[in-house]
Amino acid sequence: MQNKVVRNLRDQASVLGSLVVGVVVWQVIVDYGIIPSFLLPAPTEIVAAIFSSRVNWWANIFATLREAIAGFVLGTALGLLLAVAVTASGIVRKIVMPYIVAIQVLPMVAIAPIIYILVGFNDLSRIILTSLLSFFPVVVGTATGLADVDVNLVYLLKSLGASESLIFYKVRLPNSLPHLFVSLRIAITGATVGAIVAEFVSSNIGLGFLMTTALTSFNIDLTYAAGFILTVIGLLLYGLVEGVGRASMPWFRRR
Amino acid sequence: MADLVSLKDVSKSYTAITGEVVEAIRGVSFDMHEREVLTLVGPSGCGKSTILRLIAGVEKPSSGSIERRAAEGKFVVGYIFQDSSLMRWRTVYGNIKLPMEILGKKGAEAKIPELVKLINLEGFEKAYPIELSGGMQRRVAVARALVHDPSVLLMDEPFTGVDEITKEILQTELNFVIRSLKMTGVLVTHDIEEAVYLGDRVLVLSAHPGRIVEEITVDLPEIREPVIKTEERFTRYTKEIREKLNLLHPLRLSRRPTDAPA
Ligand SMILES: Nc1ncnc2c1ncn2[C@@H]1O[C@H](COP(=O)(O)OP(=O)(O)OP(=O)(O)O)[C@@H](O)[C@H]1O
Ligand SMILES: [Mg+2]
Repeated sequence: MQNKVVRNLRDQASVLGSLVVGVVVWQVIVDYGIIPSFLLPAPTEIVAAIFSSRVNWWANIFATLREAIAGFVLGTALGLLLAVAVTASGIVRKIVMPYIVAIQVLPMVAIAPIIYILVGFNDLSRIILTSLLSFFPVVVGTATGLADVDVNLVYLLKSLGASESLIFYKVRLPNSLPHLFVSLRIAITGATVGAIVAEFVSSNIGLGFLMTTALTSFNIDLTYAAGFILTVIGLLLYGLVEGVGRASMPWFRRR
Repeated sequence: MADLVSLKDVSKSYTAITGEVVEAIRGVSFDMHEREVLTLVGPSGCGKSTILRLIAGVEKPSSGSIERRAAEGKFVVGYIFQDSSLMRWRTVYGNIKLPMEILGKKGAEAKIPELVKLINLEGFEKAYPIELSGGMQRRVAVARALVHDPSVLLMDEPFTGVDEITKEILQTELNFVIRSLKMTGVLVTHDIEEAVYLGDRVLVLSAHPGRIVEEITVDLPEIREPVIKTEERFTRYTKEIREKLNLLHPLRLSRRPTDAPA
């Protein structure tokens, strides 16, 4: 148990170490003029910009975070439902799958105007757009996990008289958990991107909105500052999903 | 004693992915007597696992009939597979308990500790399969197959892939467990020594499609110890099986690959 805690801390420390090294290298590159600072501001300048600007960071962070998480939850719920439907019935799979893939291959900037026209320029349309970027990995990953079970376990339950729904509950569902958590890690990054792009297209608040407005007024430092905060949020969300995955699957062998 | 399972002229064909019809077994008939261990031995792909699936009722025969009777209560099988096929998301205890949950037997969990002791896994109840050695996983699979007092025990190559030393230990343990619980079982194997060591009766199957080519009654004590494998009364049986499987035929040795050095 204590071993586990130590190992976990060491994992976290190495992630942090890797990030610190990255930031130091970046600082050196700019300080020595390898890349001019009007193109790539140094980390110190970015942090300075965060504190010196009059932007209400918390309000913007909150707006983006809300869209990302709501979209992630909606996308995951939708993805799970579709995964179950697609696994349960071959006909449903044939009918639904092409549309699922079509939505995924269309660029989001192309779908965004349609959604805004249909749903209106509001929070809901931004959340829908975000969910579109997170549901696909959940469908594919979970469906794989539901189908790819040890056939002997299915035989075992059948020989004991279990119904298909009991087999689903006892075998398929738990079997899909590792696949599901891989999908969720992809989905949470998708949701973060989705929230930003939705804000690019139409918004008056949020980190994506800040980035576009700062860029159009050539405020490079502020653009990077918003991007930096976004990255931190993305990493934290990813870490959170991974942490929940680890905690709920102590039985899963990694590496 | 009554027969628990009777197969009469059972054949089974599969339609392969290519659409081709594959005949797995042809005209197989045998009875399983109460408290007897029957072993099926035969080359790979001769339909041994198929016969177990048919007895378990998870597949239907293409022709012929299978009758099942329980000594008492409802007929139910205990099933051990070619690999241990444990639920990796469940602990040792949770895996052993599974058949009770499916059958809705409440309160019957009281016997799990006893079973854990019988298979020498005390102290590992809370361990997950990834934390167990291959041999320990096989033991859990044995306990899972026994927990619900099955009418017959189906064992599909329970020790394939286990190292020789562990295998000998597990075989002796399994023999002891089956006898002390007075189980009726059918064991599938392509290990000729194992077929004799664990069986009261050995059915030798031909290569695909599987047919029974010989039935050998093994007249050895119920509880067996490894030393018996070196005795003449044991090797007499293994030799007979090797003969029936054409393994002692000189033709085999003369059939060299064409590019083999002269
Ligand atoms: N679901 C299936 N679809 C098509 N063919 C199958 C199927 N299951 C088994 N077969 C075929 O039936 C034959 C017998 O298979 P089975 O698994 O019963 O053999 P086995 O004796 O258990 O072999 P092994 O010793 O390798 O486990 C094989 O030729 C196999 O290809
Ligand atoms: Mg087999």
